[in-house]
Parts: sequence; structure tokens; C-alpha cells
Amino acid sequence: MSKKKRFGVSQALSRGLSETINVVENNAGIYRNVVLPLSRIELDPDNPRKLAITLTDVQQGLDKIDPLYTRKSEEHERLTELAMTIKSSGVINPIVVYKLGEAYRVVAGERRCLASIIAGKQEIEARVFNEKPQGFALKLVQWIENTAREDLTLDERINNIRDLLREYQHQHGEVAVTPTLLKNVTGLSLPQATYYGAVLNAQPDVRQMIESGKIRSLDKAAIITGIDLPELRYEALSACVNGCSLKELRKIVARGKQNIRKHIIPNGTAKRGRAVSRVNMGFTLHPGVIQVIVESVLSRAEYKKYADKFLKVDWAHIGQATQMFKKLIEILEHEGEIA
Amino acid sequence: MRVIAFLNNKGGVGKTTCSRTMAEYLSKVKKRPTLAIDFDPQCNFSHQYLKMEIDPAAPEGLMPPIHPDYDPHDPDHSDWDGRSSISEIFYGQGVVPYPTYIEKLDLAPGHAEKLLAAEAVRKNDVVEKVHKQLTNFLNSADVKAAYDTIVIDTAPSKGPLTVSVIKAATHIIIPSVMEEQPVQGIYGMLQLWMQESLIREKNRPLTLVGILPNMFKQTRLHKDILTSLQENTAIGKYIMPVKLSQRIVFAEIDSEDANPHSIFDFQENHVAKQEAMGFVSL
Repeated sequence: MSKKKRFGVSQALSRGLSETINVVENNAGIYRNVVLPLSRIELDPDNPRKLAITLTDVQQGLDKIDPLYTRKSEEHERLTELAMTIKSSGVINPIVVYKLGEAYRVVAGERRCLASIIAGKQEIEARVFNEKPQGFALKLVQWIENTAREDLTLDERINNIRDLLREYQHQHGEVAVTPTLLKNVTGLSLPQATYYGAVLNAQPDVRQMIESGKIRSLDKAAIITGIDLPELRYEALSACVNGCSLKELRKIVARGKQNIRKHIIPNGTAKRGRAVSRVNMGFTLHPGVIQVIVESVLSRAEYKKYADKFLKVDWAHIGQATQMFKKLIEILEHEGEIA
Repeated sequence: MRVIAFLNNKGGVGKTTCSRTMAEYLSKVKKRPTLAIDFDPQCNFSHQYLKMEIDPAAPEGLMPPIHPDYDPHDPDHSDWDGRSSISEIFYGQGVVPYPTYIEKLDLAPGHAEKLLAAEAVRKNDVVEKVHKQLTNFLNSADVKAAYDTIVIDTAPSKGPLTVSVIKAATHIIIPSVMEEQPVQGIYGMLQLWMQESLIREKNRPLTLVGILPNMFKQTRLHKDILTSLQENTAIGKYIMPVKLSQRIVFAEIDSEDANPHSIFDFQENHVAKQEAMGFVSL
């Protein structure tokens, strides 16, 4: 006997219905997607990405007398490349803006705006926030936008993070910036967050190299920042500028650490760890050294009586030499007690 | 001012009956000044309150009769042919609502030919020529001053007419028969609701009042489909907690010489009236 049939809407339809409802519930009223005239759009002067080129430059052409002419013309060249793709296939992702008086201020998508103007477009598709995003949210959007870009300099990325943290602290009070906090705020991985955390507090010489674009790698910058000795840091910086690899840089750091051990911790000062209660005798690769020690000790009058204990030793044999050395120490300790 | 629209791009699910029930409840029972708008080229909603005419020159369908206020000798009416439908908004002309037998209820009737023309506007022009027009009309000072609520019956379509209703509405209700095809119609309407909700400003939300199980029969099919929608976490909360059953009385009151002519004229304990009250008073 078959079961009674149970009716229902098809799975695909039921899925479609719930997905649509979820989209509205999660997104309605947050922003609107509209087509905006480019003439209404203005760039955000506080955007952490420092494009030298301005809206006016793009609209009226570059001026050769401009001190930033070289940099701006490079930027213009790159924007023109983007403009070509916009001509052929339009702007794929809408830019993000918020309304500021009569105009719309760009939160994300400066390059797309400028390139659209170059491409001769009149309008651009935009996602309009209904309210001006609060400081932290604004910086976060700009950060997300910027991390997705590959041509951002290390300096720009660090400044992004700094702005982001400032806004975060503005909202949540002064909190200590730990790698974990950075990770949670930015969504970076913990190692990345650790690197950024280090570089944020880089010494002035390292900062200068980052700002001038001579150091472009976050890992290298973080490693160099970890060097406290100014001379050694200078050496690392020069090596980095000359294009040394991460591995080579780590070697310099390791050398620095050895030097620190040799130079900085004087004998007899308190060391970290458990108190030292016995003498480490060290080791040697040459059993002959043990033979010399043993014979030297036995040459002293009070130890001659032990000479017969060391008669049949093969001094070339490491194992035997080790045994003999242990025996010698026992004897010395025994004699020491008697003394 | 509330703008309530009944939508489903599947025909025959009871949009007109629901529109009528809502309009009559607000005007007749609640005594609120209400404007009924017929946005369906079939003009069934208009036909409830007006003797719609067949235009010999227009094979597409019905047109409104001569307006009672029209005076061919009045010089002010010299550029008016005496008829007025909601479709005038697409032609830059004023809409003159018709009074109905219910004191507080006015009607802006449909006009088959003109509405069909609006539905066929080319894609490039549709935003300016169709989508915005109803919103503009309902936002006019005259309309706002005259009415408390607008009730709109729509065409079974997802075209420009329906989109313009969605753009103008504050509340939408999706009546549906509990069968696969009308439920697909719900999906079509939810898509329009989604598109509109994502571009609306926060202070002017488009409220989905809910999906109204309509023309409900106590059959396994209807009961099972209703249950499956109710049990879905996302959809369930939008299934209205009332349902209108399939009853011949709703068809009977449609006929011209029906008595009573409104569901709200029945006795209080009439089962259909009780159901209707349950729905409209939500």
C-alpha cells in the first residue's frame, strides 16, 4: 500500500522564495543602487589612498607646470587603461557613495569615477548609503575596498590601518592595539596582523623608507622594525633597498641576536630562567682534548695514584674518552670533598 | 496616506475580490475617504462600481462611462471628452475620480486601451513615462488632501504597470491560491518587492503585509501547500494568519443587480463576512 501523497511547493521555488525574503530583510534601507550623474560626484579628501591626480586634472587636463606632473601623468596613464575597459564593458562594480549636501561623496571607487570621466561617461552606477557612514564604518569600507586592490603601496596600506584604528579607538575608547585586535577589526590573518602591528610602530628610519616607497614588502618592513640596534637596522635597510631576499634579511637579524648575547649581557648579571646551580662542562669533537685534560690532572702529585685507572684507554674513541672524562670529574669531586 | 496594492502576476487568484473587500471595508465600515484605482486593463475592478462601456473603435476592451460631473456646454470642459481613467496620468492629463454608491469611496477606473498602451512602452522610456507617473499622481497635493487610503488592483503581469504600482505603494499584499502556479506568481512579486526595497530610502519602506491564502478549499493540495509555506522559516512569517475560502458569495455580489452588493452588507454572523473582516482588520 502506497503512502498518502503529500503536496508541497517545489524545492526550487521554496528556496527562491526564502532567498528573496532574506535579501530584503537583510538589505532593505541600508543603501540604494542608483545611476548618478558624474557631475554630482566628489572625491573624499580624507581617503587614505593618496592619488595625486584630482577631479579637476581629469576634467581639464594636466598642467605641465604642476610640480606633481610626472606622478600625475603616470596615474593618468593607468586611469586611461581602466577607461578603455569601461568604454568596452562599463563599470562592473558600482561605486559606493553617500550624500553630502547636493553632491555625492565617494567612499569607494575614486579610480572608477575618474576613469569613467576619461571614458566620456556622463553617469555611473552607484550604491548610495542612506546615511553618512560613521567614522569607523566609513574607514572600514575604504579599507575593504583598498585591500582588494593590488597597486596600493605599503605606506597607503599602513595609513589605512592607522585611520581604521583611530576610528575604532574613537568609537571604543583607547584600547591596546594587539595583533588579535587588529585581526578582529580588519579581518586579516593573525600573522599579517602581527606584521602590521609591528610596522605601525616602526622607527623613523624604517618609516621614511616605507613612505618613500623604498620598502614595499610588509614582511620585510616588519622584520627590520624588529631590529633594535641602529647600526644593524641600517645594514638591514640598505640590504633591503638593494633587493635582498627575506631569507638574507632574517640572517642579518639572527646575527644581530648573537651579537646582542655577546655584548649586552655582562657576566654575573641576573639572567632569565632558573638559577644556575652547576657548571656546564661543554663539549668537544676531539677526544684528544680529554686526553690532555686527564694527563694534565694526573701529572699533579696528589692525583698520580689514579693513573692506573686510565691505562687501557683508546683516546681516539669518543665513547671511551667520554667515560674517562666522567671518571676524572668523579675523582676530582671526591678529592675536592676530602680537601 | 497609505497606498495598499494587491499583486500577483498569476491571474485568477482573487486580486480584484481582495481589492474590493479592502476598499469597501475602509470606506463603508471604517468611513475613511478611500480612492480605488484600477490598474488592470481588464477593468473588472472598475466594473464593480461603474457601468463600463465597450468602445466600438477600440477592440481592446472597456472604457469608463461619461463622468457625472461632465457638462458638454461648460467652457471649462471644452478640452475634455467627459471620460476619465487612471491611465490619464500617462498622458499628462488630470484624473477625475468617479463617485461610487459608497459615500466615502471614489474610483479612478481603468481604460483598457490606454493601460495596454502604457504596458507596451519601450524599455528606454519606461522609467520616465510609466514607472514614475503613479507615484507623482499620488503625491499630488489634491490626492493627498482628498484621501486617507488608496487601494490599487493590478494587472496579472510583471510589466511597467505593476512596477509603477510597486513604486507608488506603501503596503503590498500578495493574494494567492495554494497551488504551484500561483505560488510561482508570489515569487515574481517578491522579486519586484526586493528590487524596489533595495532602492528605497529608509524612511519610506515598502511593507509586505503578507501572502494571503485565497480561494482556499479544504483539499489535501491546498492544505499541504499552505502548511509547507508556513513551515518555511523565511516565508512562514509572511503568510497571513487568515485565509479567504472559495465561496460562491464573492462571485454573487459581483453581479450588477446583486443584493446585497457588498460583503459588508451581510449579517454579522455570515461566515464570508466574518472571514473578510478577519482579513481586512489585520
